[in-house]
Order: sequence, then structure tokens, then C-alpha cells
Amino acid sequence: MSFADIAALTIHDVKNKLSGIATVAESHGDSKTVQAIFDISDTLTRLLIFYRSEHGMLRLNMNTHAPEDLIYELAANHYGRPEIQIKSDLSQAPVLWVYDEMLVRMILVNALQNASRYAKSFIIISAKAYPDHLEMSILDDGPGFPEALLEEDYSSSPVSQHGTGLGLLLAQRIASMHVNNHQHGRIELLNEHGGLFRLILPA
Amino acid sequence: MSKIISYKDKHVLIIDDMADMRSSLRNQIGSLEITSVGVAASIRDALELLKQKRFDVILCDYYLGGSTDGQQFLEYLRTSKIISRATLFIMITAETGYESVITAAECLPDDYLLKPFTAETLRSRFQRLMEKKLRLHTIDQLHDKSAWLEIITACEEIIAVRDKYLVDAMRIKGNALLMAEKFDEAMHFYEQALSLRAMPWAKLGLAKAMKAKGNREQAKQLLSDLINDSPNLLSAYDLLGKIHTESGDDVAAIAILDKASNVAPNSLTRQRSLAHLAERTGDFKRVEQALSNVLKKTKNSPLRDPSDYVKLSGAYLAMNDAAKAINVIEDAKTTFKGTGELRSVSAMEAQVLQKTGKTELANEALDRALSGGSTGISEELAFALAKACLVNDRAATAGDILKHVLQNNPDSDEVKNAVSTIFKNHGGEEAAKELIERSTQEVVNLNNEAVLKAKSGAYAEAAQMLTEAAFRLPNNMQIVANASLSLLADVLMNQMDAIKVKQAKDFAVTIAKTNKEHPKLPEISRFLKKIQTKYQLETPL
Repeated sequence: MSFADIAALTIHDVKNKLSGIATVAESHGDSKTVQAIFDISDTLTRLLIFYRSEHGMLRLNMNTHAPEDLIYELAANHYGRPEIQIKSDLSQAPVLWVYDEMLVRMILVNALQNASRYAKSFIIISAKAYPDHLEMSILDDGPGFPEALLEEDYSSSPVSQHGTGLGLLLAQRIASMHVNNHQHGRIELLNEHGGLFRLILPA
Repeated sequence: MSKIISYKDKHVLIIDDMADMRSSLRNQIGSLEITSVGVAASIRDALELLKQKRFDVILCDYYLGGSTDGQQFLEYLRTSKIISRATLFIMITAETGYESVITAAECLPDDYLLKPFTAETLRSRFQRLMEKKLRLHTIDQLHDKSAWLEIITACEEIIAVRDKYLVDAMRIKGNALLMAEKFDEAMHFYEQALSLRAMPWAKLGLAKAMKAKGNREQAKQLLSDLINDSPNLLSAYDLLGKIHTESGDDVAAIAILDKASNVAPNSLTRQRSLAHLAERTGDFKRVEQALSNVLKKTKNSPLRDPSDYVKLSGAYLAMNDAAKAINVIEDAKTTFKGTGELRSVSAMEAQVLQKTGKTELANEALDRALSGGSTGISEELAFALAKACLVNDRAATAGDILKHVLQNNPDSDEVKNAVSTIFKNHGGEEAAKELIERSTQEVVNLNNEAVLKAKSGAYAEAAQMLTEAAFRLPNNMQIVANASLSLLADVLMNQMDAIKVKQAKDFAVTIAKTNKEHPKLPEISRFLKKIQTKYQLETPL
């Protein structure tokens, strides 16, 4: 058995145990613990995906999806702070786009968790079609990203002093694996009256 | 959200080996106000529940604790038609690896969920899947009726709207074009789809169309490229393997299936086809390898199959390891005790016992295997019985059994090859050739005799003779067609007989199912019209 297999089985065991704790916590209305469990699970998933990408074992499963499906699903959840309102803007969304839905979901959930940590009252998730790319973005009304993070090259170092490094590194890698007509996907961090995370996927 | 679909009245089945997960899922389903929930801790329990009632949604964990996983279970449910297209199957996994392994396998779940997930996520997915089911409902229903032309029209309507089901409709349309045998149109359709974007499903469809048109080399090339670009696309390997088999290149087919097995080592269907091919090429070591694997994975599981045991035992016998061959048989006898599936096992037992010199016991086993007759049995069992008969000096019985299979499949090279292989060790190619010729001649004689009878005016007698033969040899289309014609001739020449006309029409339906272009079909229609006119029937025949 390879390390990846053993890691996968271990993560499976841990996640099962965590799910059990989450059930108990949920029945007590303890949403803080539930959220902590989701954070831990997501960290484990990222760890495994990072291992795969380091060893050239990460492959995309490209299929045609409706961005609205994914965005509705993401907006239906809250990410540890139920008081934050999550809105979706699909006014300029394309009907269909080609991407790996599971990995794109992982990237966006990570960005949403981060945004809900800093947002004051709301978050907007949107999808916007351009002639040659799709832009999926997450905007919060918090203080914005620290200057240092905006300038940081998260595409090479998984360890960041802000602790969000692995998520951003993977997001960048996965975005870049989406290629069409020699165009690669990418991520962008900006401050626009709050933090703005953009995932750009080629047509 | 565009439409709110109610799922309160849906029946949901949860399958998970972990008690905590079962109750967690139950709570989440409960929060969606769904009250009809079945819960199963194992595949066995799940099958029991599926027998009792129909479920709209199955939520199944990928790891089920035992030897069989959720994907194998899904393949089993779909291929044995235990669940219809109307039932949604959602796979639950703990990590993302699952998805990359089964990508584009023939048998995909409708969706998969990465755990842990919230009740809100579950609700969104239900919503999404139900909306899609609703949109494709008509097509699903047409699918159950194999109404391909209607499916094509229904898909075109969705394609014209260009909503989010556009690609679903395109994929279904492509497949329907292939099923309706409109190969030129299918080729054109897939080429057009590919000009928009090089999606693997369209390449695979194009390869299928090429294969159907007889362009094997082109299809092979396209599939090799496709496998290079999308190494997880298992159906591309399967199709390429099939083309190799059809070109008579079993060795290349095995190599391709081997490659596919490396991608998805848990696929039972693939291990079984590997064993089947390896058996034909005489590579018994590989048969052992593949089937030991299958036996291990289906141990104590409802997915176990006696023919795996029979083939494995046969492989040991071929490698002169009678002890292991006996062990497998004993194992099979315990495993399938009381299931009534033991005839092929008994046939194998008769072979193995004879080999070890236990003639009397061997003959007893053979008698058990033969009890129940040899009509209406599968070809596989017929071959097993014939082999056991030959080994136990019952050549005449073996000949009768094989003759029946040959006459029932007059155009199948595969059956002829199988008969030749069986005879290889018992009288050689000559005996096989003689049997094949005799089988064909008998059918020719029967036909000639019936024609003579008809010519002498004994229409009823001719019809009776051919009808009996058609019931005995339901796959022999020449006999079935002549039976249909003779019945109609009898009705036309003698008197109207609704039962005979109905039988003749039933035969025609059987023919059309295997070959819509069968040359006798227009003649049958002409006869029906003449009967219509002669007896002045009001409702058209």
C-alpha cells in the first residue's frame, strides 16, 4: 500500500469519527463545534490533495456544469457565523461551463470560510461570464486582506505566516490546471471595500 | 431558486456499515421532512429492502466494511436491473480520490457527496437532482421503452432551448442515435460536438459510431488517443478491448483490460471479462489471478456468482492441480447450498472427480448436473454440461446438447469456436466440424421437409412442424421466419385463425428485435395484408 492509500484510509476513519461528533454537536445546537469539525475535515482533504498534486497524481475530472447549481449550494450554507448573510449574484452567470466541480467547490468553500471570518454583515458569491473566461468571486464587507498577503507569492510556498497558505496554494494550482486554448486559470486577491477573492477559469 | 420541488413524499434508502453515520444521515434526511426512510447496515439488508419496495433515492457509503464496495454494489444494481433509471443513487465518500477512480465508468452514481456535509448541502443536491429528473422525465420513460427515435426528438427540444440540461440532452441524443443504428448521423453529430470542445464523452461516442460502421482501425486510433488524454476513462478501455476481441486479437484485448484493471482494480465486471478472455487464450494463470480476486471480493456477498467458481476450478484443472480444483468446488457447494444454482458446479465437479479417478462419484455428479434437461438453459451451462459429458464418456449426450446450442445460434462464430475448443481434447477438430455440419444439415432438412409438405397442400402440418422447431430454437431466425410465414400461409389457404395469426406476428416481432432489415419481414407483411383482404377484417393486422 502506498502512502496515499494509507493516508486516504486514515482520513476516511478520522472523518467518520468527526461526523459522529458533528451529529452529537448538531443535536445540541452547538454550531461552533460543527463548524470546527468541518474546518478540520477540509484541512485533511486539502492535505491529501496537496500530496496528490506534489506527486503528479492529481487529475481533473472535467465536466459541464451549471455554475448556478454550485453557487446555490454554497449560499445555502453558513460557514461558522450564521449571522452573516450570504447572497448570490447570478445576473451575469453563464448557463454552463466546463470545470472540475469537486475541486472548484473545495476552493470556493475555503475562500468562503476565510471571508466569513472577517465579514461584518454579508458575503456575495457571484459568477460572471466573459468571452474567454468565467469569473467566480467571493466578496465580503470586512477589513480586506492584509497588504502582505496581497503581495505574497502563495503559488510556491505552502507555509504562510497567515495560515491560509495551503488553501491558496492549492487554489492556484487547481485553477492553473484548468487549461483551454493555452489559457490557464488563476486566482486573484484584491481589496474592494472588503476582501475580494476571484477564481478565473478559461472558456 | 427556479422551482421548489417537494421531496417530502420521496422514499429514501440509507446504506452505511457505521451505526453513527446511519443515525447522522437519518437525522439529516429527517430535517428535509422526508419520513419514508429505509436504513440498511449491509448490502444484504439493502437488497432485502429493495425487494420489498421501490426507493426514489439511495444514499450509499462507498466503504461498506465488507469485501464489496459501494461502486461494485451500484454496478450490480444497475446491471441486474434491481433499480430502474428513476432511482437516484448518491455515493457518499470520505475523500476525493473516489471520484477520480470511477470517472466516466459505464456505471456512474447520479451524484457523490464528500463527507461530512450539512443538511443544507444535502437539500441543495436533492433539489438539483430532482429538478434534473423532472426535466428528463419524459426521456427516462422513453428509455425504458427503448423508443430511440422519440428520445432523439425529445432531446432536440431540450438542445434547442439551450438550458443547463443542454449537455445531458446531447449525450443522450448521441447514444440514442447509436441505439437507433443511425451511424452516419451519430458520426456527424459527435464530430460537430467535438468541434465545439474536445469532450471525452463525444470522442467515445465517435469511436462507437466508427466501430459500428466497421472502421475498426480508425476507432482503435481514436480510443488510444483518448486513453492517453483521459487515463481514467474506463469505458474507453472496455470499448478498445471489445474491438480487439472482435478482430480476433484476444491477447491485445487482455493487455488493454489489464491496463484498465490498474486504474480500477476493484471492478468485478472487468476482472470477469479478463478471466473470460484469458480462459479462451489458455492463459490459466491469469484466470486464476483474476478470479481469486473476484472470489475474495464477493465472499459472503450477494454479488457472488457460481460461474466464477466453476471457471476458477476449471483453470486449476487445466493446470493439473486437481486438489485446488476440488477445493473450489467444495467451497462453491457450501456457498451456494440451497440456491438452486448448482448445476454448473456439479458439471465441473464431474470433470474434476473423473480426473482424480473417482469415476462413480463423477457420474453421480454428472447425473445431478444433467437433471432438469438441456433446453432453455444458458449457453454457458450447456458448454459446461457438454464438457463434463465428454470427460465422462457420454459423447452422445454431449453431442445432443451442443447440437441444440449450434442450431439455436446458427450465425454465431463465437458458439462455433467454443464448440471447436471443447472438442479439442475429445476427438479433435474433425468431431467439431462433423457436429457443426450435422447441426446445420438437420435444420436444412427440416426446412425442406416443411416446404414439400406445404407444396403438397399440407399447410397446417408444415406450420405445426416449423412452429415446434421455432419454439425449440428461438434464436434461429431462419426457422422463426419460416414458422411465421407457414402459419400465415396456412391461414390464407385454409381458414381464418386468430391464434395462428397472433403467433405469426409474435414471431415477426422477435425477428424485428434482432434485425429490423430481415429479408423475410416484408414478405410477412404482404401475407398479413392478403389475409386482411381475403377475410375482410375491419381492424388492420
